[in-house]
Amino acid sequence: MNAKLGPAAFLAIILACAVVLAILPFVMPPFYVRVGQLMLYSAGLAIAWAILGGFAGYASFGHAAFIGVGAFAAGLVEDRFPGLPTPLLLPLGLLAGGAACAVLSAVVAYPILRLRGTFFAIAMLGVCKVCAELNNNVDFFQGSLGLNFPAIAPPDWDPAIFYYQLYLVAGVAVLLIAWQIRRSRFGAGLLSIREDEDTARMLGVPTERYKRQAFVISAVLTGLLGVIYAHSLGYITTDSVYRDDTNLSLIVYSLLGGMGTLFGPVIGAFMLVFVTQVILARLLDFHLFATGLLLVVLVLTAPGGIIGLVRGFRQRRRAKNVAPAE
Amino acid sequence: MNLIAQTLADGLVLGGIYALAAVGFSLIFGVLHVINLSHGIIVLMGAYLALILSETLHIDPLLTMPLVMAILAGVGYVYQRFLIQYAVDSTPFASILLTFGVALMMNNIMIWLFSPDMRNITPSYAFASFRLGPIAFDAVRVSCLAASLVLLSCLAALLKYTSLGRVIRATAQQTMAARLCGVNVRHVYAMTFAVSAAFAGAAGIVIGIILPFSPADEAIWTLNAFVVVVLGGVGSPAGALIGGLLLGIVSTLTAQYIGPSFPNVTMFLLLVLLLLVRPQGLLGNAFAPSR
Repeated sequence: MNAKLGPAAFLAIILACAVVLAILPFVMPPFYVRVGQLMLYSAGLAIAWAILGGFAGYASFGHAAFIGVGAFAAGLVEDRFPGLPTPLLLPLGLLAGGAACAVLSAVVAYPILRLRGTFFAIAMLGVCKVCAELNNNVDFFQGSLGLNFPAIAPPDWDPAIFYYQLYLVAGVAVLLIAWQIRRSRFGAGLLSIREDEDTARMLGVPTERYKRQAFVISAVLTGLLGVIYAHSLGYITTDSVYRDDTNLSLIVYSLLGGMGTLFGPVIGAFMLVFVTQVILARLLDFHLFATGLLLVVLVLTAPGGIIGLVRGFRQRRRAKNVAPAE
Repeated sequence: MNLIAQTLADGLVLGGIYALAAVGFSLIFGVLHVINLSHGIIVLMGAYLALILSETLHIDPLLTMPLVMAILAGVGYVYQRFLIQYAVDSTPFASILLTFGVALMMNNIMIWLFSPDMRNITPSYAFASFRLGPIAFDAVRVSCLAASLVLLSCLAALLKYTSLGRVIRATAQQTMAARLCGVNVRHVYAMTFAVSAAFAGAAGIVIGIILPFSPADEAIWTLNAFVVVVLGGVGSPAGALIGGLLLGIVSTLTAQYIGPSFPNVTMFLLLVLLLLVRPQGLLGNAFAPSR
């Protein structure tokens, strides 16, 4: 549907939505501002994941590694500059976190992108576990002790709303980056890797370079979101950033919304966060069961996600409209 | 010197049990090309079933093994035939997510039924031990190791000599050709799953006797199985045995000489390295989809 819109109109619609979302927290009750933060954060992560997992078809099961590495790099660097004025702290943290993720992902990319499919997914889980355990057990990283982050919200700004809007800006930025990638030659190359990597390579697509670039971009964006997340928590340990449920959720967001689409991850993240945080909030004993059931039902009934369902429905309706004319 | 020998002996005993716990996972992976993330759940179901049966019937937990294996074989057959088969027909990622969803649900159900506390199966000979030269062996651990070696040999014989084994191997090698020769592939898939679940359950009993267990452990056993299979190679009991022994030795050596919190690091480093260097596993028939 967005293929018919010109880029200028698309940009205008996205920015208009962003402005509406930015005003919302002033009229929402505080609980929903918190839920909104989580939705925007998850949506940002989901899009960053989908640049590699959705476009190129390399579904990673260990992206929490980059959240953790980004967050800890930012925290450790910010600790070295205690005298810095507050407005400069976040940019410094983002720079450190992004750089750490870029280096890590660029190094890891060479060996790990030789693997495909499930093997890539599980090897990424291995990478995440190794990072988490090293972070936890090597004293320098203070993973088990924990790291404090300074409060960066301006004094006359409600911190909840400040982080909500920060996530919104970050999320929109990630969305626009993904959109531009999707429109570019690079994006077309990634899609061709997903469809048939060997054929794409034979036809002259530089698959190795494209995969590595997508991996690094995805990792850096994930790391930057991790830096913001760490600031909004205020205090992190290894367990609070290297989370297995994040690893899983990132796949589920895309699967729920529609794998490989631009808005699928956003829809999936919004829906899943709403369901788990608002509807199931009082049923903590039931939480795992409900998530598992959702996964099973999804796989069996809607393998193309919500966008897949909508597209299938439209195609059937169009087919029905065409049929009587014959 | 004694310390090294003792550590190696402990590692071998542990590795034999890892191998038994992984062999079912390996079989499903090799035949159905499904990564069964609910494998750890089946292992734990074996442990809990053995706990219940041995307490109600007042018999030795190892004697409950035939009954537990029979029950879980039935469960496995139904699980594959009526649930996983649909995902096998769909995309490769579908089966992973499906089995993961089932694992989450079953984990929650086990917490309701058995509470999240650690449980333990304690047979009468729990604290007996004997010495062989300077190295001490727990009677329990050795009997469990013996049980797992016997079971692995049985499975190898089943795959090699029986008609079911022949059909399973044929399906694993060339699904289409097997189907053309009149093999009912869905039935074979379900039978493979049944065999795999039975052996996972048997492993669960052995694990339950040696180590404390709780519903949260399922992820550990699934991951261990994956590592063992990647190390040893897919689809053969011998591969699982090699992988399991290697993993057991590596984790006890790391715990002894590097630090008790590092076995996971070395385990996953080993996993990633082996995936890169020798993706078909130490003994394995090459599996194409990894590259």
